[in-house]
Amino acid sequence: MKLFVRSYWLAFGGLLSYLVVGLAAFVSLLAYSSPVEWLGYLQEPYLWRLIRFSFLQALLSAVISIAIAVPVASCLYHRHFWGRRFLLNLFAISMVIPAIIAILGIVMVYGRNGVLSDVADIFGLYGLFGILLAHVFFNMPLAVRLILQVYQMIPDAQWRLASQFSFGRWYAFQIIEWHYIRKALPGAFVLIFMLCFSSFAVVLSLGGGPKSSTLEVAIYQALRFDFDIAKASFLSLLQIIICSSIAWCVYRYSPALAQDISVIEGQKSDLKGGKVSMCIDVAACLLALLLMVPPFLAIFIPVLSSLFWETLHDDALWRALLVSLKIALPSALLSLLIGLSVVVLARASLLSTHYSKWSLRLEQMGNFVLMVPSIVLATGLFLILRKLGIGFDYTFWVVVWVNAVMALPFVIRSIAPVFYQYEKRYHFLYRSLGIKGRHRFVLEWPYTRSALAQGMAYALVLSLGDMGVVALFGSQDLLSLPLYLFQLIGSYRVEQGACVAIVLLLLCLICFYLTNRIVGGKIARI
Amino acid sequence: MSFKKSLLTAFSASVMLVTASSAVAASTLNVYTYDSFASDWGPGPKIKTKFEAQCDCTLNYVTLDSSVGILSRVQLEGSSSSADVVLGLDLNVMEAAKKTGLLAEHAVDTSKVNVAGGWSGKYFVPFDQGYFAFIYNSETMAQPPKSLKEVIENENLRVIYQDPRTSTPGLGLLLWMKSVYGDNADQAWEKLASHTVTVTKGWYDGYSLFLKGEADVVLSYTTSPAYHVVAEGETKYKAAPASEGFYPQVEVAAMLKNAPNKELANEFMSFILTAEFQNTVATGNWMLPVIDDVDELPEIFGQLEQPTKVLILPADEVARHRKAWINEWLDATTR
Repeated sequence: MKLFVRSYWLAFGGLLSYLVVGLAAFVSLLAYSSPVEWLGYLQEPYLWRLIRFSFLQALLSAVISIAIAVPVASCLYHRHFWGRRFLLNLFAISMVIPAIIAILGIVMVYGRNGVLSDVADIFGLYGLFGILLAHVFFNMPLAVRLILQVYQMIPDAQWRLASQFSFGRWYAFQIIEWHYIRKALPGAFVLIFMLCFSSFAVVLSLGGGPKSSTLEVAIYQALRFDFDIAKASFLSLLQIIICSSIAWCVYRYSPALAQDISVIEGQKSDLKGGKVSMCIDVAACLLALLLMVPPFLAIFIPVLSSLFWETLHDDALWRALLVSLKIALPSALLSLLIGLSVVVLARASLLSTHYSKWSLRLEQMGNFVLMVPSIVLATGLFLILRKLGIGFDYTFWVVVWVNAVMALPFVIRSIAPVFYQYEKRYHFLYRSLGIKGRHRFVLEWPYTRSALAQGMAYALVLSLGDMGVVALFGSQDLLSLPLYLFQLIGSYRVEQGACVAIVLLLLCLICFYLTNRIVGGKIARI
Repeated sequence: MSFKKSLLTAFSASVMLVTASSAVAASTLNVYTYDSFASDWGPGPKIKTKFEAQCDCTLNYVTLDSSVGILSRVQLEGSSSSADVVLGLDLNVMEAAKKTGLLAEHAVDTSKVNVAGGWSGKYFVPFDQGYFAFIYNSETMAQPPKSLKEVIENENLRVIYQDPRTSTPGLGLLLWMKSVYGDNADQAWEKLASHTVTVTKGWYDGYSLFLKGEADVVLSYTTSPAYHVVAEGETKYKAAPASEGFYPQVEVAAMLKNAPNKELANEFMSFILTAEFQNTVATGNWMLPVIDDVDELPEIFGQLEQPTKVLILPADEVARHRKAWINEWLDATTR
């Protein structure tokens, strides 16, 4: 163990910077709570209804998102059509759209005066249907990208064989693709489930009343209106317990995966496409397009108005944009470094005899942060800082850190598969040649850079789109783009807010593309 | 230069720096407020210029996401807070704010104040006021509701309001309902639930949905139509009258007990009740001033819905029953 720690001290440092700070923040909150009161909280009947509803909508959202994402991913991998790349970039930013903007986009399509209002009339937009619609809009693209990532690991030889044996698409899916896809599914499911379980503004706005609300609402209420730290920390603990039990079940009962020691991929050979596969592809893509494109179009409509161009002349907009970048760049870098530390440690324990279980546990630690509401995390951090006598002087770094760890699950999901694969492939070779540490990283860089780029790009856009802790705890000089947007719609300027949202989305798109291009190099394919 | 000497120089230099920076801090007034108040189009910047002209100091806004956000930030900071004044608390969180023990009494003469229900008490100075009301689109609705009862009981009316657990207007409606319906509030809530489109997290979520045509009426303020007239020239949005009476919202400011800059804080608290401050409120925050001696307001303010009666529940009663009333609302609307 000692040797292990010594050879990975840097990675341990990265992991600790996440774990120690995170745990300390949470413990400092828990210190305010008294377990005696917990029983009392648990007896509130409404709490159980909340949990039941949170669970139901999160489960359905995750299952539907993934069910649509699998055929869409397969189609996007095999078929190259005009606009495919743009669609994939668009997919990457769907989850950073501020909730209120996405809600307005959905309402403009499915709402009372919407183009597709008849569709919503069948189910009623406000209620479970509306919530699922919004959650699938946010998360299905995420699932598509996570699944596409494992497609990259399918070796060339398998496609070549499939092509030589003239496999149909469906047969190839069963024999080759499914084997890889199912590796990504448990992770994707847990990620989406947690995101939806703690969803808040969407659930309230489209839920149609307090029948539909989540545990997060109760946490928010306890912390903001009542400043009841004890109750808020108990409820967060409850949320952590529920979510980690779900995660545990998913990983426990998902099928054991065989290890691949496969060859490096190269050119893809085309498969024979039949009429049936064509129909499925078209249907899957149409469904995805129908779900995603109309709300996006609705969000982008203000581009046509003169107000949009007037908004562009606003100095405050550009100042806010700069502030956003100032926060997002360091936090994306930090997120990537912490994520890399976690993955390197997980990789090291993957094939070791004693610690092999730790690789999954480490990966899970990255998810932990999704279960704790950012407002709770930040409150805890500020309580510690106050005890240290520092107070709010370091708000900037708190924001950077919180944004970084919030993106951690996405970073880990993006980079873990390719790192694991190289470990499985070359573990013994590296060992016998004594290649490790920095040298190994440099050696693997050409093959890992596209995954690293994607991880960093996710962290970057998540941080750009986050309104999070700055808004909750206040600051005079950290007015970021999302906050500027909320200021506008908070004082009746809904139309102008919609214009700022477009700028935010364009910024995210550009940053996503550039990061993938610059860090990922030319081989970044998705 | 020897090591010792240079150490000494560095030390004295840093001491000088610290004293210099505290000298700057001595003339800075920190005001904690919510974001739209301090935004470029809110009243904040004008008030800053005017106050700085008379005080020879710097007014610094620290902005939070909401009225309740101000309070929790101050509570989080406790006695080490650098806030001098909190600006933007609401009538209904006053009692909770007082209980934190972090506020100080002010020395401002509030006799000029003209707010619904009168003004007394030594902790808070009101800075603007308004009434909660349901807003409708007069182009699409020929016969608007004339009372709160007609909003509640008309099952064809699609209503959006805010969640009392997360927003102050939502809490306002809760109290309005309580003062009109009393013990029968739960039945009224149940009736409203049958034709509620949705209950949103905050004011802007609900109001934006209304502007997109998702509801016939939305909970907002009697002054909301004034924004549309003055800023957009749009006259179709109107506030529905309420024959039972309106429930007021009064926004207040308070000084902190541990204010780093007590004198300036006091000066600012008095400044709130001057015409200079009050003149910015109507078209900056879209609320009504709290003193009579102000410049004439734009014409539309004279045409706004005026309360025939003002309903107001005592602050201590609100503080005592808030949780129970929220639970009553929850039970009734999730039945």
